[in-house]
Amino acid sequence: MALAGFLILLVFLIMALLAPYLSPHDPWELGVPYLPPGKGHPLGTNDIGQDLLSELIYGARVSLFIGFFAALLATVVGTALGLLAGYLRGAVEELLMRLADVFLLIPTLPLVIVLIAYLKPSLWNLIITIALLGWAGTARVVRSRVLQIREMPFVTSARALGGGSFYIMFCHILPNTAEVVLAKASLAVAGAMLTEAGISFLGLGDPTQKSWGMMLHYAFTHGGIVNGYWWWYLPPVLCISLAVLGFVLLGYAGINPRGSGQILLGGGDFFGSCAERTRDPG
Amino acid sequence: MRHVLMRAFWYAVVFLLVVTFNFFLVRLMPGDPLVHLLGEEGYLYLYVHQPQALAEIKAKYGLDKPVPVQYLSYVRNCLRGDFGWSYQYGQPVFKVILFRLKWTLVLLLPAIAISAVLGAWLGSLAGWRMGRRAEVLSTSILLFLYSLPTYCLGMILILLLAYYADLFPLGGMVGEGSSGLARVGDVLWHLALPLTVLAVHNTAYNYLIMRNAVAQVKIEDFVLTAAAKGLKEKQVLFRHVFRNALPPLITVVALDFGFLVAGVLLVEVVFSWQGMGSLIYDAVVSRDYPLLQGCFLILACCVLLANFVADLLYALVDPRIREGESFG
Repeated sequence: MALAGFLILLVFLIMALLAPYLSPHDPWELGVPYLPPGKGHPLGTNDIGQDLLSELIYGARVSLFIGFFAALLATVVGTALGLLAGYLRGAVEELLMRLADVFLLIPTLPLVIVLIAYLKPSLWNLIITIALLGWAGTARVVRSRVLQIREMPFVTSARALGGGSFYIMFCHILPNTAEVVLAKASLAVAGAMLTEAGISFLGLGDPTQKSWGMMLHYAFTHGGIVNGYWWWYLPPVLCISLAVLGFVLLGYAGINPRGSGQILLGGGDFFGSCAERTRDPG
Repeated sequence: MRHVLMRAFWYAVVFLLVVTFNFFLVRLMPGDPLVHLLGEEGYLYLYVHQPQALAEIKAKYGLDKPVPVQYLSYVRNCLRGDFGWSYQYGQPVFKVILFRLKWTLVLLLPAIAISAVLGAWLGSLAGWRMGRRAEVLSTSILLFLYSLPTYCLGMILILLLAYYADLFPLGGMVGEGSSGLARVGDVLWHLALPLTVLAVHNTAYNYLIMRNAVAQVKIEDFVLTAAAKGLKEKQVLFRHVFRNALPPLITVVALDFGFLVAGVLLVEVVFSWQGMGSLIYDAVVSRDYPLLQGCFLILACCVLLANFVADLLYALVDPRIREGESFG
């Protein structure tokens, strides 16, 4: 399962990195509109004559970029706060976990929509907004892992040797949360990509960038669906789904290695708390 | 009981936070907050032609008063259901939303019910037989369906079943001029595809949850005892294991509400179903900020309410919580 996920993502990564060499045309170049798949344009052209295959290949860049950086930001913030909450306990834990609860309770997509509508759509606004709303799940999972680790003998001995709180947190506990954090980060990328695609589909994507969600937006608003131009919207649909599947497979492999049936680390709520952030964008 | 009250109090706090967020969002944005309340065009028109009217509106919204006073009156208005004026529809925001919310629920509630039953059933079978070939296959398929965004699945179904096979309409809710039973049938006919999309997506999720819950319960001692006293496999699964794996599913089903909200919004846009999703879409396109914020507030309310229902159900199913032990 993990291998399959890895291979899928490798393909998309190559697609994104080598976009200028792989795509037959400049994705911004105008031409004959509404061409069906054929010679010169393997996937046809869109409403203003841009080559759809090239758009798709360049779209991998933007979609992966937003997914990756939003997830990175959310993971860093979530891990740091989870670590603090789990290790320091007391009022800090109470406060941070209540805050995480608030973020988990509020429906993400409508909130992102409202924020982006006010902030104006741009690449970094999307990344920051998605990250801002995505740290809570990670924080909760990391905290419950830290709660297990902090009572282990090696932590106690590090404390007995006079290690400071921050030294123990970052040098002893953090490395031991790596598995959970990485699994969660992989799922966070999937979630961020879904949110980006959903937001862009609604027309709140960065208009200067070509992402898969933006392709769907134009296909939808410029008659691609009603006219049955499947070559316009099926490829981005497949790309989004496969990329998300890739990250989900990678993430679950980290939680549930080799179909042992037992959820490792963090107990029963782990799957739930992982899944919840992945799925909210629909 | 105390636990339930605590939860209710907590949800009230979150609600207040959402209201506060809405309040400050308008006021912290650069420029005159009235631009966001009246729409850019309306604002500019009044600014040029009737500056006097602009000042009056400002006073009406209380924008000339100090911020704490504004805040209090804003909270009071929100609690009364006065979310402001939608300039796109020329109606109070609350009225517009209430009509649309009904149609979203028509889509959402059956989807949740269907996927709860299907997910619980398929998921417990899968958890019981984890590791067998059929289970691995079905889990792979459902994992893929789960990764497929709802609106993408919607587009695929539209292409296959509406465009090529012509079995279902491309979108919309009811045909013109139908009434009575014919109208109900027409609504169902339009409902079929979006409902399928949501139910499939959510079944996949419930399946994965239930599969893991059953797999965890299945290794406990009482299951072995039940099997040892000669109960049939199905009896052990559905009478003993199922009940003990149920609590996580109940939480999930109620929480589904919150998660499906996102899915339903996009699915509605794809199928031009005139619910909250299309409303938000319209509000985004026409930059109708009061409407947008009203939608967000109402959706947040629905999610909070669903969570509260989950807490109540959970307390009913799990006696340990009823006794007053706190969790989470």
